[in-house]
Amino acid sequence: MKRGLDFPLARPTWPANVERPAPKRRVGLAFDHGWSRRYPARLARALLLDNVTRPAIRLVTATTTRGVEYLEHLEAPVIFAANHASHLDTPLLLHALPARFRHKSVVGAASDYFFDRTWKALWWSLTLAAIPIDRNRVNRRSGDDAARIIEEGWNLIIFPEGGRTADGWAQPFRGGAAYLAHRTKRPVVPVYIHGMFRVLPKSLRDDRPAGGSGSEMRHRGLRRSPTSVLFGPPLRLEEGEDARHFAARIERAVAQLAEEVRSDWWGARRAGADAAMTALRGPDVSPWRRAWARDATPRRSPSRGGNWPVS
Amino acid sequence: MTPRPGLVMEVDGSTPPLLFWNGEGFRLERLPEGTRVVYAPEPLAPLADPIAAIRHALEHPVGDMEPLSALLRPGMRLTICFDDVSLPLPPMRSPDVRQLVIEQVLELAAEAGVDDVVLIAALALHRRMTEPELRHALGDRIYDAFAPHGLLTQHDAEDPEGLVHLGRTEQGEDVEINRRAAESDLVVYVNITLVTMDGGHKSIATGLASYRSLRHHHNPHTMRHSRSFMDAPASELHSSNWRMGRLIAESGIRVFQIETTLNTDTFPAQFGFLQRREWEWTLRDRATYAATAAALDRMPARLARQIFHAIRAPQAMLSVQAGEVEAVHERAIASVWRQQGVAVEGQTDVLTMGLPYICPYNVNSIMNPILVACLGLGYFFNLYRGKPLVREGGVLILRHPTRPEFHPGHHPSYIDFYEQVLTQTTDPIEMHKVYEESFATDPWYVHLYRTGHAYHGVHPFYMWYWCAHALEHLGRVIVLGGNPSAVRRMGFSPASTLQDALEMATDVVGPSPTITHLHAPPLLMADVS
Amino acid sequence: MKALVFERNVARFLAARAVSRLGSGRAAGIGPLRLADVEPPELPGEGWVHVRPLLSGICGSDLATIDGQSSRYFEELVSFPFVPGHEVVGTLEGPARSAMGSSLEAGTRVVLEPVLACAARGIDPPCSACAQGNTGACERVAFGHLRPGLQTGYCADVGGGWSTAGIAAHSSQLHAVPDHLSDNDAVTVEPLACAIHAVMSAGLREDDLVGIVGAGTLGLATVAAISTLSADGYIPAPRATLVGGRYAHQRHFAEELGATAVFPEDQLARAIRRHCGSKVIGGPSLRGSVGSRLSSGADIVFDCVGSAGSIEASLAMTRPRGRLVLVGMPGRVHLDLAPLWHREIALVGSYAYGIEPGGRHAFDLAFEVAARCRAGRLVSATYPIDRFEEAIAHAGAAGRRGAIKITFDLRGAPNRQGGRQ
Repeated sequence: MKRGLDFPLARPTWPANVERPAPKRRVGLAFDHGWSRRYPARLARALLLDNVTRPAIRLVTATTTRGVEYLEHLEAPVIFAANHASHLDTPLLLHALPARFRHKSVVGAASDYFFDRTWKALWWSLTLAAIPIDRNRVNRRSGDDAARIIEEGWNLIIFPEGGRTADGWAQPFRGGAAYLAHRTKRPVVPVYIHGMFRVLPKSLRDDRPAGGSGSEMRHRGLRRSPTSVLFGPPLRLEEGEDARHFAARIERAVAQLAEEVRSDWWGARRAGADAAMTALRGPDVSPWRRAWARDATPRRSPSRGGNWPVS
Repeated sequence: MTPRPGLVMEVDGSTPPLLFWNGEGFRLERLPEGTRVVYAPEPLAPLADPIAAIRHALEHPVGDMEPLSALLRPGMRLTICFDDVSLPLPPMRSPDVRQLVIEQVLELAAEAGVDDVVLIAALALHRRMTEPELRHALGDRIYDAFAPHGLLTQHDAEDPEGLVHLGRTEQGEDVEINRRAAESDLVVYVNITLVTMDGGHKSIATGLASYRSLRHHHNPHTMRHSRSFMDAPASELHSSNWRMGRLIAESGIRVFQIETTLNTDTFPAQFGFLQRREWEWTLRDRATYAATAAALDRMPARLARQIFHAIRAPQAMLSVQAGEVEAVHERAIASVWRQQGVAVEGQTDVLTMGLPYICPYNVNSIMNPILVACLGLGYFFNLYRGKPLVREGGVLILRHPTRPEFHPGHHPSYIDFYEQVLTQTTDPIEMHKVYEESFATDPWYVHLYRTGHAYHGVHPFYMWYWCAHALEHLGRVIVLGGNPSAVRRMGFSPASTLQDALEMATDVVGPSPTITHLHAPPLLMADVS
Repeated sequence: MKALVFERNVARFLAARAVSRLGSGRAAGIGPLRLADVEPPELPGEGWVHVRPLLSGICGSDLATIDGQSSRYFEELVSFPFVPGHEVVGTLEGPARSAMGSSLEAGTRVVLEPVLACAARGIDPPCSACAQGNTGACERVAFGHLRPGLQTGYCADVGGGWSTAGIAAHSSQLHAVPDHLSDNDAVTVEPLACAIHAVMSAGLREDDLVGIVGAGTLGLATVAAISTLSADGYIPAPRATLVGGRYAHQRHFAEELGATAVFPEDQLARAIRRHCGSKVIGGPSLRGSVGSRLSSGADIVFDCVGSAGSIEASLAMTRPRGRLVLVGMPGRVHLDLAPLWHREIALVGSYAYGIEPGGRHAFDLAFEVAARCRAGRLVSATYPIDRFEEAIAHAGAAGRRGAIKITFDLRGAPNRQGGRQ
């Protein structure tokens, strides 16, 4: 039985013996995202952010924000470098940013994850002003793109870990943020996001008892839990400082913010670099003790009022 | 007001109708005058600061044992075992005692820098726990720290690689237990001694054992000679476990036993009338009873089951003791007796009881007819020390709907046991000889036990053996309000009213029999003299 | 003389089809079946004789016809108007020769072998199947000097069993009933012969695991055939014969007739699983989930129901490369044949009988089986022909009403509706 239309109403089939040019791929790093920074897209995004995303964030988490004062007199554009535990880190960070940054920021997103299909690329560019970043190697094209966008006056949010953490502790930072700062000579604001791992962690395939079939295991969804976003003082490239050195400085600055969550601001000042790094990356012990230490910290998390139901 | 001890009262003309549990529901029954009714003691006051009590117990162990912190050192292999979903009943409110205890053990282990820690659910041949059940028992913090790394395991009695044969007791009983536990420098067992049967050497010798090892005490012979299995000195089941436990200790496995006991605060406030004496029911109690009973009768069984299985008991910790197995167990048992013991004078011709919706093997599941028999003839019948509440040749009247319904995922072999074994024989010895092995080694049951959430293929047999003492002792078993075909298939007699049942009982025990009603749950232990 | 006549009447056929959805057998009153005064059928020629029915059974295929649910496949294999009834024990009205060649006197009790094959149709030489005695496989049931009709009871020329007017029977159709068999025993011989044919041609091997789905007349006949024939060494003895029957009385009979173990129909797959030590693909419940089936299964399954549901259930409990025999008559069914392809299951039909492997005629063996099993027990109730609506309603609800086989009693005796015996 025949269905549908025939040529010429339907698309012609290609003769098998005629060579066919390879289709142009318009996804990944090659995705054209210029439109997402023009006025109609910005308006749509601003409406979405303020009317949907931020209320939704407030539903799943009570956020404490610290260090916004550092941003007050800061001249845009800047680069925000944050640790990364959850898909919700970006909405949370946008939520915590002052409006003048919030509506003028692009987000560096993994090209292989967020830009691998046209519809995904369109969606993320529209909703978060995402731009594709090659997270596996330094890529000339994505670097050029990002630098140009910063020079156009856009702030950049970037997660130097290159992906979400699997166990709640941060992974070593990569050099992308420092490289871009070096190229554009713009300041980097270190950001530490705490608590998002409890709200929505990266789902792990073996997150179930050993030997399990997994068929009856519940997929874990959102869990309401308090979070905090800490901004540190902006870091500027020093005279003669190279990108590698600067990258290490960015990581230390984020680590110090992590230590501030664990103890307090003064404790973080006094703690040595190693102690701070442990607060960010976790102790170098067996997996269960790392997990045990991770979940011990929220007991001292900064909270407002303290009447939020801690799950 | 200090909690009152248990009560044995006699029904007179002014006694109101009394509450009988009836599966997912209850009935009020007017008992004949002169019937004795045994009420459980009221819940004792729990420990004020359980966490401090746990810390104290860990640092001040009883028996020949060092404090836990002194036993922990970097580089050691530490295994923490815990009781599975069958305890406590009903599941207790968060936080579960297992969570409280294990968190403290892990704090010490983290401080001491112990890297190699594994948790094992000591479930013997029970079904594996689901993720929500593990999270409930252990808390999210423990689950999230261990499960993602494969360090939260469930005992697998069918994993040839995961078992080790330690030897035979002087009576030739094989002792084969979990390899990880056997090869650890220290095993910490976190136990809930809900009834006097639990705990002691049974924790490891049963909870971490294989079928090969379990069959030495889980058989009709042993169960007939456990009188009762709630009273360890008179229980062949326990003698066997104790022999095995001593062999485990002799083979060099160091066990740090932690036993907790709970009070009998079994039902949340809205079901408070379930643990109150009927003549003390307030207006509110009567109103909730009437409303609940009416609603339960009208709703589908499924929904009623969901409502009851959502109950989380307000039970709280009564005592915690840690150290050497036997010394710990002795103290735990004393604590259980203090809470549950009721002195009862003399036996009775007819014993009546209402069976609730839950037994150790149908948590979050369906109470099938075999489990009804096991709860009535196994557990409740055996809630005695000294002599059974009912005389030899007497009659047991149970109240339960006994619907032939099964949870296909949890109890697959029960369905076949019901259709293929009980249709042929109800004699425990006969089924032990003819059918047990083929069920125990059936590859499908083994597969479902190991990878799904199914009880082991042999488990329904064990449930029937659990009844063996009662089956031998009793002259007749009458199930009040039970599905007639299911009741008859098990060799019991169905009755539709209590009057009919008592009338049927007189055929066996003669006219004007003495009657005793066991008013449980809440749990009680009858000390029958 | 009266007979139930089935006529071609589109309006009544459609009405029956509609009403029968409410329950099989309810449509007898409004369907194309009616009680009519008829003359005895004319004898078509040499070798024919009148048989006066004593008992005449109501078979599942009769019910399907009355309900208007019969497959259109048979449209060209029947001729209207016909008198139904092919499970017949009757007496000879004149002398005749039997199918086995012996001569029979008038008044001899005979069972009718209803297939109207080459011999009855005057076709000489016979077709290759008939030449070998496999009359059930006759290729010419629509040809010859008779009008089309695969059996007595579907052919306009020869009459049928539901009649007091008698049947025109060809000597190739006659089997003398041994004296020790009662009329009730004898009326079960035809369905027993069907089951015997199914069992003997199923290729049963020593130690096979056999499943029987359904414990109505054919299911029970299959049980009886397997247990009796294997005991007598006609077929190898199976390891176990497991039967699934919906109703308690059916299970009771199945057990009495020699099944190894009997189960409610929804438990049969589980029982087979236990016996073959197989696993289950598709969840532990074995029911409800799509595609759930045994990983192995029975070597041979006899489907004695013939509905889409029973065939699919049977496929799910037949082992890879096993054999599924359709004993019950299926109609137009909607089936998923993926398991047939993937598990290389042989799905074979089983119709009628003939000379069976071993050289004996199925009816010959059926007399033995009927005697050994006291098969007359399966006749649950008999009705006079003028109460046909009740009879057919009873047959349509036989299981629910605690019956197995319902028959018409044409012996002229007063109403003899009996119990189970």
